[in-house]
Amino acid sequence: MSDTMQSPAGQEEARYRALQAVDPRAPSALETFTTGLHDESWRVRHAAAEGLRRVPDAPGVTARLISVLGERGETGARNAAAEALAGMGPVAVPPLVHLLEHEDPDQRKLAADILGQLGRPEVEDVLLRALSDDDLNVRVAAAEALGRMGGDAAARALEGLLDAPTLLLRLAALEGLASLKRAPPLERVMALVEDPGVQRSALRLLGLYAPGVATERICRALASPVRSVREAALVALGKQAVGLGPYERGELDAVARSVLSGIPGVTAHVAQALDGDDVRVRAGALVAAGALGEASLAVAVAEVAREDRLLREVLFTLGQLGPEGRRLLLGSMGTLSLPARTVAAEALVLLVDSTSVPELCALLEWAEDDLRAVVVRALGRTHSPDAVAPLVELLSDPTLSAMAARALEQLTVAHPLEALAALEAAVEQRTTPAAVAVLGRLGGARVLPVLRRIARDEDASWRAAAVEAAGRADGEAGLELARGALADESPKVRIAAVRSLGQQGGREAATFLGLALKDEDRGVRVAAVEAVGVAGAKERSPDLEALVRHGDGALAMLAVRALTKLGTVGTGVLWDALSHHDAEVVKAALPALGSAEASADGAALAMSLLGHPRWDVRVAAARVLGGMGRPECLPALQQAMSVEQDALAQVALAEAVVRLSGR
Amino acid sequence: MPRFDEGRPEMTLEEFRLLRDHVYAHCGILIHENMKFVMERRLWPRLEALGIQDFGSYHRYLRYDAQRSAELEAAVESLTTHETYFFREPAQLKAFCEELVPILEKRNAHTRRLRLWSAGCSSGEEAYTLAMLLKESGRFDDWDVEVLGTDLSRRVLAVARRAEYGPSALRATPPDLLERYFIPVGVNRVRVRDDVKAWVNFGHHNLSDVAGSQLVPRSDVVFCRNVMIYFDLAARRRVLGVIRDRLCPGGYLLLGHAENLLSLGADFELVHLKGDLVYRRPELPGGEGR
Ligand SMILES: C[S@@+](CC[C@H](N)C(=O)[O-])C[C@H]1O[C@@H](n2cnc3c(N)ncnc32)[C@H](O)[C@@H]1O
Repeated sequence: MSDTMQSPAGQEEARYRALQAVDPRAPSALETFTTGLHDESWRVRHAAAEGLRRVPDAPGVTARLISVLGERGETGARNAAAEALAGMGPVAVPPLVHLLEHEDPDQRKLAADILGQLGRPEVEDVLLRALSDDDLNVRVAAAEALGRMGGDAAARALEGLLDAPTLLLRLAALEGLASLKRAPPLERVMALVEDPGVQRSALRLLGLYAPGVATERICRALASPVRSVREAALVALGKQAVGLGPYERGELDAVARSVLSGIPGVTAHVAQALDGDDVRVRAGALVAAGALGEASLAVAVAEVAREDRLLREVLFTLGQLGPEGRRLLLGSMGTLSLPARTVAAEALVLLVDSTSVPELCALLEWAEDDLRAVVVRALGRTHSPDAVAPLVELLSDPTLSAMAARALEQLTVAHPLEALAALEAAVEQRTTPAAVAVLGRLGGARVLPVLRRIARDEDASWRAAAVEAAGRADGEAGLELARGALADESPKVRIAAVRSLGQQGGREAATFLGLALKDEDRGVRVAAVEAVGVAGAKERSPDLEALVRHGDGALAMLAVRALTKLGTVGTGVLWDALSHHDAEVVKAALPALGSAEASADGAALAMSLLGHPRWDVRVAAARVLGGMGRPECLPALQQAMSVEQDALAQVALAEAVVRLSGR
Repeated sequence: MPRFDEGRPEMTLEEFRLLRDHVYAHCGILIHENMKFVMERRLWPRLEALGIQDFGSYHRYLRYDAQRSAELEAAVESLTTHETYFFREPAQLKAFCEELVPILEKRNAHTRRLRLWSAGCSSGEEAYTLAMLLKESGRFDDWDVEVLGTDLSRRVLAVARRAEYGPSALRATPPDLLERYFIPVGVNRVRVRDDVKAWVNFGHHNLSDVAGSQLVPRSDVVFCRNVMIYFDLAARRRVLGVIRDRLCPGGYLLLGHAENLLSLGADFELVHLKGDLVYRRPELPGGEGR
């Protein structure tokens, strides 16, 4: 035997495994697991509790567990039994309700606790009665339980307890109301904030109120020398800020600022909280930092971005810290953690002006792509001619060139000559084919000679760029170049030609696209299918219909979409698409069911898809049915709704039902 | 002041789920619904880079485009958190040094070979930390030692190999260790010393890829800290199977602070060290594999 098996840990391990090996259907299982509930190790007790849940005789198990609850002195076993009961579901409810009548107050308390954990609304009344139990602990347990699961009556009862003579009850009531998200009249909570025993809970409850008086009181608590009070206040502040529209948020910030700015040392407290462990505290600290507009907090604020959940708030807060905060951030870029650095960059984008170009270019030195992407956007926003050169240079960076091209377009509005000159120079020096595309878009007919020349380049990337750019620069020349390019040996160039033809449209383009649909290269075919839709080339519909049956989901899906765009989806094609093995094809076909030609069979087809194994197909089917305006579909929708498990599909079905019945 | 999300496409709940499922199938990372905003924000640059207008089209791109596997990698890259630093979770490292290292020395005395695996190593701080601790112990100086760091993200691996770090990575590094194991390479930046680097190797590995794990050598200790926090139960099971398989019998698994193997079955045994709880792959019956 190995040394683990003799050590206490090893013995524990052995007992743990023995329990895991027990067959829950064996007649002795109930007793074996019950013995396990009494083990000295919590891990073994946990395994026993889990095992009991799998024993088939649920009423028997429940009864046995309830009897364990009565074993005074066996705290571990009682807790494990309570845990197991809370996992038993509705079958545990009647015996627990019965246990609430037990003469031992300890048992009654446990019963209330577990009922709270079971969270069944039907026991609300019973728990309400337990609020007048003789024993304080039972009353508190009942209040806590109601706070977990109660409805209107529970909220009213808890409110009634707010001025109970016992501290414990007042606390349970406050916590319960907070967890039920029920706000009692503000004055009552405001009074309790002054009661040191319940201050923290009362503060947290204040987070449920709209900005204003409550905000003011919350913020005053940040002057407290006691850290936990300040933290409760921050949690409340964070909660108040959640989901506010810009107007209310402005109001909240104004109130917070007026109070906070008068509190000495508040910045240090906020800084400390920004670095804390509790997400809710940090969320509140962000609100406080933003309201204060305290630039010196910029770095601490950015570092909160290490917590994904607070990203949005971090970005918002950084925006509130002004130019001084921005300066500080820029200066500390090198010492920020990666997540902080990316949000800092994002916040900086919002603050750039025409003087920011050198600073932004310095940021491009950072290696992270997401950071550089942000900087590229920012360069476009500077509206400065100085940004043209760095952006043209970035066109040669494969991950950034599309973004740089868009940023350049933004700049060209203000500085067309500078941009064109820089692009032409880049093309002459063969910097990157991406420059050709931008040049074509911005230069119009005057750059055609350059494009014609490049269309004969020995490098396929340049030829492709020239063909596509010519299409944008000038229709006729574009068509001519595209026709030539369709015979190019490089698929890349043929794809460029196809895209250009799609943009042109017209009879001739449609003819050429017909050829491209039969190209040997899959990429060219995919591009051609899309281009047919873009060009509106109805005469190509038969070609597309054939592709709908293609085993390649991408081709089939694009063909359906193109046909829908052209408005030429026939019933036969629809059948093919709806029985395609790829769900994306099915989803692409569904919207076409609403069209006049298909709608007779369409409704029946869509209804059959309400039982599709994939949730996204069921959602799409429900939406289509909702839009068809055929009330005879209602029963099918309602039936589907009654069995639907998926939340999104439920919403879609409900919306469809409302639309159909509400005409 | 303009909004930071101005002019950017919003992600519908439906698109969120399709993308989430796609990512999950690839690497086991599960993104919760309340993280939709984070996903949206992290993927915007991808859409911009590809010139794609909305998330539905992005999902189709990930499914159908010829570049789809490169793009999926880029997407996962931007969705994962790579937060790490040297000497993270000091209590656990102390228990490792004081309690596990002596055991390992004894166990492997006859082979004088030691293998550690830092699974999900991010930018390498954890792997280098372990190598430094082994050096500190002074027990393995003429042993054959390898710390292997693997990660799903190729980008962080490039950082790991460069081995240059700034203040944020060093925020928990004790000054004397900073002195001993790093050399300054510029304002605020240091590089890991070559003798430490010589013990550390890096490689690309998706923990969800069961077949690919054959490339990882059998290890005496696996650190897999703060990786599975993003996984659901099924993915965790899969990954633990891989880790168990790559551990020598009797080898140890160390998880992050907030992680445990509760309700994951009995593949590992729990070992109570004085300073920490760790997991161990049971010895083979009859003491084989020692
Ligand atoms: C938060 S970091 C943890 C770094 C280090 N272990 C620590 O605790 O400091 C998590 C790392 O796990 C990696 N990761 C996530 N899913 C993974 C998978 N399926 N396979 C391999 N690595 C994965 C991420 O790329 C990331 O770098």
